[in-house]
Amino acid sequence: MKLLKFELLKLRKKSRGWLGPILVFVLIMTAFPLTVEILNKDIDQSFLSVLWIATLLVMMLATEDIFLEDFNDGTLEQMAIKHNSLSGVITIKIFVYWLLIGLPISLLGALYGFGITSSADLAIQLIPILMITTYIFLNVFSFGNALSLTKGSILGILITMPLVLPLLVVLGKVVIVINLGMNFLGFLFLLLGILSIIILVLPIIISFVIKAHLE
Amino acid sequence: MFNFKFNSISDAIFMQSSNGQYHGLYVWSVVLIVLLSISITFLVYKVQIKNIGKKIK
Amino acid sequence: MIKKFIHQFASPKTYLFQVDRAYPYIFYTSLSIYLVALFWGLFLTSEDFVQGNSYRIIYLHVPASFISQSLYLAMAFASAIFLIWKVKLSAYLVRSIAPIGAITTFIALVSGAIWGIPTWGTWWAWDARIISTLILFIMYLGLISLHDSFTDNEKADKFLAILVIVGSVNIPIIKMSVEWWSTLHQTASITVTEKPAIDPSMLYPLFGSIIGFTGIVVCLVILSSKLQILKREKNKSWVKDYV
Repeated sequence: MKLLKFELLKLRKKSRGWLGPILVFVLIMTAFPLTVEILNKDIDQSFLSVLWIATLLVMMLATEDIFLEDFNDGTLEQMAIKHNSLSGVITIKIFVYWLLIGLPISLLGALYGFGITSSADLAIQLIPILMITTYIFLNVFSFGNALSLTKGSILGILITMPLVLPLLVVLGKVVIVINLGMNFLGFLFLLLGILSIIILVLPIIISFVIKAHLE
Repeated sequence: MFNFKFNSISDAIFMQSSNGQYHGLYVWSVVLIVLLSISITFLVYKVQIKNIGKKIK
Repeated sequence: MIKKFIHQFASPKTYLFQVDRAYPYIFYTSLSIYLVALFWGLFLTSEDFVQGNSYRIIYLHVPASFISQSLYLAMAFASAIFLIWKVKLSAYLVRSIAPIGAITTFIALVSGAIWGIPTWGTWWAWDARIISTLILFIMYLGLISLHDSFTDNEKADKFLAILVIVGSVNIPIIKMSVEWWSTLHQTASITVTEKPAIDPSMLYPLFGSIIGFTGIVVCLVILSSKLQILKREKNKSWVKDYV
């Protein structure tokens, strides 16, 4: 609990770290209708696709230096010694990122969904999907950035992008289901299942990677 | 089962199908690409192994 | 017990000597099998009822795509051995399989694209199988660039192995993509469990080409791993004797 508060405070003070990605998200979502002709009905259909890609990009940006600063000033090393489970620390860290970046973006995304397609149903359906998706993205990209810790985030993105592409396929299916007005709960549970596996497994792997970096 | 399906060499090169299209271009370009890329890879590795062998000596 | 066994027989030195002895046999048998199968497939089989003669590309396309996925599985297997038993040789193997995998995936992509022109009327389609093969290609390139970006080889080996294992979740998705999503791409012509969907006279050369191509790729992996071992162990005394 103490750790959670500490991490929260640390991220909150670094406004570039959490406000930056949210603003980028807002910019992308406001800019994209400009590229589609106004009064074009197709904007409804392309909206969801743009939304997924925008969240993907923003989550990439958000995790860019999730471990780098702590690694450089030695905090990570201290944590690895002090706490006997580094994976717990990492879980908390990612959770804090999700709280400050993923959650606002899910709400904003739903808001944009309401604004662009003016359908309240869609907006409400979007919130849980976005919440789960952002959490998955944050976990996976943290893994990539842990691997390429000192080598820059481009490498991290290059090696983790392929891992999230299957998820994008699932999200594409969600678009079809929502457009047809079918029941999307099945997909929600599928995403939840993926998320629960990822929450359990990835922090352990990340802690393994970071320990290898610290050696 | 073991008879040639083409009557002449030019038939085999053009590979006209029963629907009238010529498919030889596609088939032979794929054959060329596969064999070329595999043999180039072999060559590259052989040369590299030779080079590193010289260096170690 | 297993650990002792692996460490005894999986030293780069014994591996190199064993492999050198086996290499010519593997190479010449698989090359002759492959060429015979290709000859059979290209000239002796009758043309496909639907696709005409263009179906003959199957004898080049299917082995390459089969190998490109199998190589990834082999990498995942070797990575697991490396992480569990710390066998150096399997780390070398993982690194040396990656470029070969990239090449075979490239062949699968290009031959598939050319095959697509006469049969689908387009050389590229955004369909699940093609995209996932492209992803596999990018993954191979990513693995190579990850390993090469570290100067500390031991660290790089570890990270590479971890990434390979995490990335192996994509393999079943690639495998099943044709069945899960309705796509242009046809489903697999041969499966282990079911009766093959194609005529035996077309099937035998296909098997031959798969076996032959696998052998050739194994030879490539041997060469690649040889290069890798020589690079990494160049300061050892047995390497100087070997060269």
